[in-house]
Amino acid sequence: MEAELAARIVGSLKAGGISFVSYLPETRLSEIVPLFREDPSFMVVPVANESEAVSISAGASLGGRPAAVYMEGSGVYVGSFNLLCLGKRLGVPMLLIVAYYGSLLDNRNSFLYAMPGIHLIPILKSLDIQYEVFQNGDSLETRIKGCVKMMHAIKQPVALLFTGEFTI
Amino acid sequence: MNRYECFEFLVPLMNDQLVVGSLSGQRVEWGHLSNHPGNLLVATMGAALGMGIGLALVLPHRKVIVLESDGSLLLSLYNLPTLGNLSLPNLTVFVFDNEVYSGTRISEPSATAGNTDLAAVARGCGIERATTVRDLESYKREAAKALNEKVLSFIVCKVEKTTGHRQIQRPTEDLWEHKYRFVRYLEKTEGKQIFLGRG
Repeated sequence: MEAELAARIVGSLKAGGISFVSYLPETRLSEIVPLFREDPSFMVVPVANESEAVSISAGASLGGRPAAVYMEGSGVYVGSFNLLCLGKRLGVPMLLIVAYYGSLLDNRNSFLYAMPGIHLIPILKSLDIQYEVFQNGDSLETRIKGCVKMMHAIKQPVALLFTGEFTI
Repeated sequence: MNRYECFEFLVPLMNDQLVVGSLSGQRVEWGHLSNHPGNLLVATMGAALGMGIGLALVLPHRKVIVLESDGSLLLSLYNLPTLGNLSLPNLTVFVFDNEVYSGTRISEPSATAGNTDLAAVARGCGIERATTVRDLESYKREAAKALNEKVLSFIVCKVEKTTGHRQIQRPTEDLWEHKYRFVRYLEKTEGKQIFLGRG
């Protein structure tokens, strides 16, 4: 991903009031991690498992810091039970910053990635998690702002799926 | 030592601490003994410790107490390396380890009935003050120490398998009510708005 796009993602999250990020590193969007780390307005917590990331960000969210989880698409599968029980059943707002690997527009797509990519949106739909797909930087700031507003409105997770230009 | 008497000791010591609890009999028993708005009983396995870590991180001036069980912790062992690295001084973790998966109709041994030592696992992840207590006096001593000191504590409490919770009426408060009560309490005591969406 180009540095400019990474900066716009992080800048938009900051403008939206996100101040807590738990994450499990992945490749495609990895340029955002140092930007989170360099900005003291973000509390950044690396984890070992996306289920853990969901629960830690849920605690941070209810504790008063609007929270995000940054993960690869595989993390939605791994974290799905906590997304259901904490995100949906308990009703905890959080943003899911997801590298949408294996999508039709994934520049790194392969045999390995395609299957989890194909099933990612059906998984989100089955969990009734609202999502927005980002293919390029058009209206990025406005759309992220809308996702933050939706997260606060429904007090549930909202997923941002990054593919296309974000996967170079 | 049984879990209920451990809770009976702990509940009167609660004032402005935040208590994050797990599932099953533990939730029923703690909820029966304490109606404190600082309780967040998440009613799912494998999530209480993570939520407690998140709360302790963003509210470093508040004591956060996590009530876990052997089954729930075994489901979420991934929390321990993270916790060992964060070493949160305002977090106390109690693991009530009855060595069984005890549902309403089942009683199957968990790994801690075998060779698994959860305190040793925690120490291996860098949680220095991780200990196991096997009697009520030891429990009271360790619990009081953990509540009074600013150091990450991880206390595995070996408790009897009991079915007393099955005789306690389940709460009528649903999880959304429970969450709002907790958040409104935090908003009041922290003096800040937590839920930001317009109603």
